[in-house]
Amino acid sequence: MKDQVELVSGNRAVARGALDAGCRMYFGYPITPQTEIAEYMSMVLPEMNGVFLQAESELAAINMVYGAAGAGRRVMTTSSSPGISLMMEGLSYLSTAELPCVIVNVMRGGPGLGNISPAQGDYFQAVKGGGHGDYRTPVLAPWSVQESYDLTRTAFDLADRWRNPVFILLDGLLGTMMEPLRAREPIPERAAPSWATTGMFAREPGDRAPRSIYTLHMPEGALTEVNRRLQAKYQEITREEVRYDEHFTEDAEVVVVAYGSVARSALQAVRIARQQGRKAGLFRPVTLWPFPEEALGSLSEKVEKILVAEMSSGQMLEDVRLAAAPSCKIDFLGAMGGELIYPGTILARLLEE
Amino acid sequence: MTAHNFETSATNTWCPGCGNFPLLNAVKTVLKELSEGESPTRPENLVMVAGIGCHGKIADYLNINSFYSIHGRVLPVATGIKLANPDLEVIGFAGDGDAYGEGLEHLIFAAKRNVDITVIVHNNRVYSLTTGQFSPTSPPGFPGRSTPAGSPEVPLNPLELLLASGATFLARGFSSQPEQMKEIIREAINHRGFALVDILQVCVTFYNLHKYYAERVYTVEDHDPGDYFQALQKIREWDYGASSGGEEQEKIPLGILYKKEAPTFGQRLSAGGGGSKSATPADREALIEKILANNI
Repeated sequence: MKDQVELVSGNRAVARGALDAGCRMYFGYPITPQTEIAEYMSMVLPEMNGVFLQAESELAAINMVYGAAGAGRRVMTTSSSPGISLMMEGLSYLSTAELPCVIVNVMRGGPGLGNISPAQGDYFQAVKGGGHGDYRTPVLAPWSVQESYDLTRTAFDLADRWRNPVFILLDGLLGTMMEPLRAREPIPERAAPSWATTGMFAREPGDRAPRSIYTLHMPEGALTEVNRRLQAKYQEITREEVRYDEHFTEDAEVVVVAYGSVARSALQAVRIARQQGRKAGLFRPVTLWPFPEEALGSLSEKVEKILVAEMSSGQMLEDVRLAAAPSCKIDFLGAMGGELIYPGTILARLLEE
Repeated sequence: MTAHNFETSATNTWCPGCGNFPLLNAVKTVLKELSEGESPTRPENLVMVAGIGCHGKIADYLNINSFYSIHGRVLPVATGIKLANPDLEVIGFAGDGDAYGEGLEHLIFAAKRNVDITVIVHNNRVYSLTTGQFSPTSPPGFPGRSTPAGSPEVPLNPLELLLASGATFLARGFSSQPEQMKEIIREAINHRGFALVDILQVCVTFYNLHKYYAERVYTVEDHDPGDYFQALQKIREWDYGASSGGEEQEKIPLGILYKKEAPTFGQRLSAGGGGSKSATPADREALIEKILANNI
């Protein structure tokens, strides 16, 4: 089974990645276009002695994640844009309490109910915050079914390594399209970490005290200390966890910066542009936070122009502007309302002088 | 092995005379007994979840594993903990604003699922931490600081709502009757399934109902808590002042009002239960294989 190539959707790949990472707890609430993840988990988790719970709301789901993560289990929730908005409360607390969990957003068109088509309008929410307070969450953005599986597995490891919630951003196109997937050897769930609200107690000399999980820090200076510790951790994550992908950038004059499914259109456009004599390249951030600032900064010194393509009004665009050299021209190609960005549209912009 | 010390060194900041003191003492006494009795609920397996409000400080005053959660979210957090580790004994503490307002949907669903947790509601019928606004159980006309002309709303009868929602253990206590509180809390913790204890907890600063309650409460006798309709009748005997507006002939029943044995959510999820479709371990393996190979 493990050496076979299977044809599956991005949604299934996420679910499969979580299972193979040893995740046995899932809480969620149905919402298009990601309900397939919940359905898959509901089929398989009960057979694996796991827990699948369809919660009364996304608010409930994220708080169940909060409790389960605190009790030391690998746990995941998934939703799509409006549902993720409801989870922002819990995310702020999970981040501050430093509990690991994985949250997947299969983005759809917004704002409001929007529609159920693919979009990337939740970049700010995932990358810049969304909940209250000074917190950060690593954000992984796959561009294929295989990478949806791989990065879901990675997300659990990052969550544990940094004791932090980790976001995975897909869009409706990636979630619902099918591609070959090669799953890797599954691992069993790790044991409950030493900080979990369980067991071990000060009954015998040398035992540890009861565990407390809390996010209220009232004594003078206490909250400042907590924030300093969190910021130091975020800086370390920024140094160690940046991931990105480059195609044809070595001699590129113009580079498209795109993530997720838009990067697929971009790569196609880049290939055609090259056939037509335009030296184009693709720079694809894989971690949206931490953003590959340095790599993009150096690249921007060598190219004439950067074209940012994303299915939003220009959210990642702001991070590209912050990263790029002042000498580099930055162009933008956006799509809103659940419209896709096709290779031809990007190609036309690449061929412009 | 030494007996566990449930005390903490934290300075208690509840107002002198607050109904939370006897409630905390009752909980401590019960936990101590349970940890030392014949079938001990081991202290290391106790986890309390507190919400936000005056009651929430209990997390600082009780020396057990604790989770100081989010306003209104005690129930989903407690549910997550219990499902993550069924060996843990999970006790939720919440206020009336917390459980019956901000997080009411969660309370109904925890009851409906019959999650094996205990919830103790410090029902002082006022928002005290924010200094005196009306709550979901304040009576009509309540002169809170956000209702200068008196509350325009009628109170919720949480026990009636939870009975209808499928709770399997419902009880009411009064913070000035510590012995009865202990008995109720002990029974609630021992109950397998969702147990809710509504404690009429006197707030001496913003809504002192001590005398009002003392004149009206009585302990139920000759009551069969296993009988749904008897329970409903007892629960409806007092509607938190919704219709009477606090008339003198009101009587407030205290004690265990409803109790029923039913499979818990965890039991229904566990292997061989409703959660698994497979009859044997071999069937399970085969089904997992099939699902993972994407043949289903």
